[in-house]
Amino acid sequence: MGSDEAYNFVFKVVLIGESGVGKSNLLSRFTKNEFSHDSRTTIGVEFSTRTVQLNGFYIKAQIWDTAGLERYRAITSAYYRGAVGALLVYDITKHLTYESVERWLKELYDHADPHIVVMLVGNKTDLESERSVPTEEARDFAEKKGLLFLETSALQSTNVESAFNKVLEEIHKKVNSKEVVRGSISAVTLNSSRAESQEEEKKPCCSNI
Amino acid sequence: MAKTEQRNGLELQGNTEKLTGSNGKSSSNGLEPEVNGSIPEETQVDKYGFTGGAQQSAGELAEQVPIAVLRQREAKWLEMLNSWDKWMAKKHNKVKERCQKGIPPSLRGRAWLYLTGAKVKREQNKGWFEELDIQPGDPKWVDVIERDLHRQFPFHEMFAARGGHGQQDLFRVLKAYTLHRPDEGYCQAQAPVAAVLLMHMPAEDAFWVLVQICEKYLPGYYSTGLEAIQLDGEILYALLRGVSPVAHRHLKKHKLEPILYMTEWFMCAFSRTLPWSSVLRVWDMFLCEGVKILFRVGLVLLKCMLGTQEKVKTCQGLYETMELLKKIQPQYTREGFLVQEIINLPVSEKNIEKEHQAQLRRWKESRGDLSCKSPPRMHGAKAIMSAEPPSRQELRQRPTIIVESPLAPKTEAAPEDEAKGSKKAAKANGHPTVLPPDGIVNLDDPSSTLQHTTTQGSKESLSSAEHDTYL
Repeated sequence: MGSDEAYNFVFKVVLIGESGVGKSNLLSRFTKNEFSHDSRTTIGVEFSTRTVQLNGFYIKAQIWDTAGLERYRAITSAYYRGAVGALLVYDITKHLTYESVERWLKELYDHADPHIVVMLVGNKTDLESERSVPTEEARDFAEKKGLLFLETSALQSTNVESAFNKVLEEIHKKVNSKEVVRGSISAVTLNSSRAESQEEEKKPCCSNI
Repeated sequence: MAKTEQRNGLELQGNTEKLTGSNGKSSSNGLEPEVNGSIPEETQVDKYGFTGGAQQSAGELAEQVPIAVLRQREAKWLEMLNSWDKWMAKKHNKVKERCQKGIPPSLRGRAWLYLTGAKVKREQNKGWFEELDIQPGDPKWVDVIERDLHRQFPFHEMFAARGGHGQQDLFRVLKAYTLHRPDEGYCQAQAPVAAVLLMHMPAEDAFWVLVQICEKYLPGYYSTGLEAIQLDGEILYALLRGVSPVAHRHLKKHKLEPILYMTEWFMCAFSRTLPWSSVLRVWDMFLCEGVKILFRVGLVLLKCMLGTQEKVKTCQGLYETMELLKKIQPQYTREGFLVQEIINLPVSEKNIEKEHQAQLRRWKESRGDLSCKSPPRMHGAKAIMSAEPPSRQELRQRPTIIVESPLAPKTEAAPEDEAKGSKKAAKANGHPTVLPPDGIVNLDDPSSTLQHTTTQGSKESLSSAEHDTYL
């Protein structure tokens, strides 16, 4: 962990969405495999990292989390700076949190990189009996808006890895595709040698829990 | 035993237990806990009420004030509270000094009520909280508040039980505020602040102290737009240059904006950052002297963590620096060290106001006028009192439990064994005997208490020299 880790890329990913949808638990589940029913309200910024291996590259995901409450949006520009990915989270049992997704998208595009990779995430699938947002409806909306889509449960760990990994994969594709001018996605490349020659040098300590 | 730092380090199994709100413990009065607990036997509650989490005290870090000193301090505080207006007008420095030493736990709630002017507000607005309390509240705010009730100090026994009295009172206080100031509504950082207050006083008192904090000490902090906190972030950063050029340069180099590290610090008045004994010491000073204390804490922490070349060398970027500031080393946050640093740091109200003007000018140049114009802040208890001088009546202590003490003298002459340690200590110091407000009450004529204690207070209170050198 920490300074011993070697990685090729650092991707900053932000978690956004209404208060109480589960952003902090998605963060802790992905980066520390932890979950708490009583995690504290996020005030200010929380963050954590995890390095994953994708297609032979080591990618350090730097995940940022902040308060969802409306008035905190006033202090978000520093939060979005340099972000290349975003998970826009809503709670499948609270339709209101889904209704504000459009507002969050606007917020995102106002402040973040235009090429940012966005995934719409419907969290709390463990509460299926209280569902108030149909999967298909959300999926269709995501498709229409060009967003990735997954439903997750931070409590049960369902699809959490997939969600983050998918976003990181898409970011990596964009970075590699050269469609995007180097400057506009500010991914930090620390070591751009090919994956093959990496194998001997690399310390395989990546997918940390 | 003391839990480790991971506040959220609960496995799924442990959380299934939490679903039943199972942090209840047998209460000391022998009644059944309100929620069936499945707490393992080893869980201990520290003296502040924490059963776990990062802020549970490890014992050795907190300072131990000798009981005799504590009793002396209590006597002095009772004296002060009895003639509060006199003390604030003529001996404010002494009040300040005593706040710096730490308010005795038994009187902390009451002292905060007086320091903040909340006592006066409560007296001037009798029945108001009750009126707000019975209203259902705006559903928009109620919904958000309810989502936060189980997310404040979840490792504190008062707030652990879902739907328990602590969470209920938290709801009442926060809801009442949204009704008291509908244009302000609810801001999430108010919840931890209200929770700290509830640990020391009943809901109505906590409500009024919260009002004072939101309106007098930190106006605009919790308002839409969060402009005040952004401005204070800039002020903090500007002041840092004088306090620690190395730290300042480092933050500048990595473009680490203040809002990324000071938001939780200031909005929660460090209640989520420091070990609990330090939180209480900081709040004692903050409620006496105002926001400059928060600035000093922030500056001290930044200086300690980033103040030398050696320290910043390990921080290679913005993210690493943020990480460092999230994990302040315990040697810098412990009560003894931190309080001394705060007292010694030469940052004054004047410094802050001057920088405030400068930052406001900068803001207007780059972002136009402030959309939310908050009233100017009051720098502490004295300022608040001077702005709205209370009547004697409003300051009168009104104990809700009055007992006739078997030790209290029935005649003028006080028996030897009355007033225990305080009197003995006073005699030992060669002072005139200072009796604490005594327990004599003539239940047929309650006003006799008032007269008696007032007379005692005015004769003795202003003359005692300070022999208590414990910090």
